Amino acid sequence: MSKNSKKTVIYMKSVGKRFDDEAGVLDALKDVNLEIYAGDFVAIMGPSGSGKSTLMNIIGLLDKSTSGVFMLDDVDIASLSQKQLAVLRRDKIGFVFQNFNLLPRLNVAQNVELPMVYAKKSKSERKQKIAEVLKKVGLEDKAKSRSNRMSGGQVQRVAIARALTNDPSLILADEPTGNLDTKTGIEIMNLLRDLNKQGVTIVVVTHNPEVGDYANKIVMVRDGLLHKTKAVS
Amino acid sequence: MIFQNIKMALISIKSAKMRSFLTMLGIIIGVFAVLVMIGIGDGVKAQVTSQVSSLGTNLLQVTSGQIGGSSSNAKNGQQQKSSGGSFNFASSIGASTLTTQDVATIEQTKNVSAVAPINVLSSVVAYDQLTTSSPFILGTTPNYSDIRQLKFQNGRFFSDNENNSVAKVVVIGADTKQNLFADGDAIDKQIIIRGQKFTIVGVVNKSDVGSGIGGTSDDIIYLPINTVDKLAGSNQVFRIVVQVNKAENISSAQNQIKAELKKNHGGQEDFSVLTQEDLLSTFNTILDLLTTFVVAIASISLLVGGIGIMNIMLVTVSERTREIGIRKAIGATSGNILSQFLIEAIILSVLGGLLGLGLSYLAGLLVKKFAGITPVFSLKALVLALGVSLIVGVVFGVAPAIKAARKRPIQALKSL
Repeated sequence: MSKNSKKTVIYMKSVGKRFDDEAGVLDALKDVNLEIYAGDFVAIMGPSGSGKSTLMNIIGLLDKSTSGVFMLDDVDIASLSQKQLAVLRRDKIGFVFQNFNLLPRLNVAQNVELPMVYAKKSKSERKQKIAEVLKKVGLEDKAKSRSNRMSGGQVQRVAIARALTNDPSLILADEPTGNLDTKTGIEIMNLLRDLNKQGVTIVVVTHNPEVGDYANKIVMVRDGLLHKTKAVS
Repeated sequence: MIFQNIKMALISIKSAKMRSFLTMLGIIIGVFAVLVMIGIGDGVKAQVTSQVSSLGTNLLQVTSGQIGGSSSNAKNGQQQKSSGGSFNFASSIGASTLTTQDVATIEQTKNVSAVAPINVLSSVVAYDQLTTSSPFILGTTPNYSDIRQLKFQNGRFFSDNENNSVAKVVVIGADTKQNLFADGDAIDKQIIIRGQKFTIVGVVNKSDVGSGIGGTSDDIIYLPINTVDKLAGSNQVFRIVVQVNKAENISSAQNQIKAELKKNHGGQEDFSVLTQEDLLSTFNTILDLLTTFVVAIASISLLVGGIGIMNIMLVTVSERTREIGIRKAIGATSGNILSQFLIEAIILSVLGGLLGLGLSYLAGLLVKKFAGITPVFSLKALVLALGVSLIVGVVFGVAPAIKAARKRPIQALKSL
């Protein structure tokens, strides 16, 4: 498949983010140009303070850019209200966090169900989808378990399952292996690669080069600029 | 979504049981206090109503002074100097304006089937070594026994002859008998009232409506009214009880008695002719006022309870900032978060209301057992209690819920 025929999920043109407060003016991002296509596995890399977290927040619709054009699935983000952003986030983005961020009072199935509850999906649809995504991450027998009785690797699998439930346009993973031992980290990255092979678009934010090795495209951020974009064959 | 929110709220309330209970405590106490007060007020009202109706049927009471509160009068287009439910305390305890001539006048009035004048006497009562001042000493005529349909444990009521001959005979109530004679026989025994010996000719059965309120005490002594007049040295009449032949004639008899007595009193309406409803409405006016006052004080604890809920919910929102961040990241809108925390506050409040309701029911059983009053829990009071706790939940839950909804997801996710 040629690149041109692929659907563009993320389109960024001269995107900048300026923080302007009492502490002074800080340009966390300057003139970022980036395109991510459906089916990509992208690693956004860079040292801390480079602006990669800011870039992730903008891609994840948690924050708005202050200049430039950002389109997600051909929708121009600039004009959207907070509520529209929340709805778009719900439908298009699946988050995977470094510290998992499951709700401790809920069991596995309830955690996975939550994005579908907010999307007002029917009970039968939710039930079916919970089984489907838990099977995908290999936890079909853990639906009733509590996250505090599970290993870190299992918890991160639940988080990935939760990210998949609303069939998002992309999964945005922020240091997904950061709180895991090496072996478990490799399992999680293998899982993400398998999902990518099934067609899920994945963006991983990391400073760990080994994680970057899984990606087919690496974006280096330094001092708020995209330093280089490398396609990995 | 609302169902999901209720489920979530129950999960978080359960996960902090002690805190949830303490948060609800204000509402529990508030609802409890309000319901118990209303319940006791309504219970006393019901008791007095049954006591008044147990006095006899188709009764009118003629009393000295002006006691208002006649709604039936107003309907009949009668002149009513005082407004409905008013009550001149001084006129009800001052020297009576009623006379024996009034009694005779009423006896001549159409549709009147029986008349009993009443006088009261204060005195200590002695038997053997025992002395008591608790009995209510009442002078009347044998008609009184017929009107009240008194039943006797032993003996009889005094007769017209005994009244006319100023006989020193008495009839005593069940409690008085118990106090002075315990389980012994009282008939033909002599008790001392104002230094004179009186022979007991009858003991009245215990009344079945309880004691205390409304003057149907069983601690009572009946004397012939002529005997009382002689002891007291006056022949004023404290009150006149009138029985009308039929219920539908009560109103016309009331008006006629009023008109006739006014002539006796030189055109002055310095007396009142009251139906049982009038008596009740006067009493209820006073009781309602008291109940309202006490309930108003009790309601303050509902307010305090609401503030407690707001306080804890604000703390909860701060503690759960991270949860809010996660929820927003996975797609919750601000509206979703707002309704989640609002519903949690409402559930805390309503749950508190329900617990207060249960507690007040238990307290009602205790009051019934130990105070002899049967509290009445009307549907109105239940709806009121739950409605108020719902409103408290909404009013005091809004501010914390707005605070939660306004949290920015990035900052919220950073918090620990």
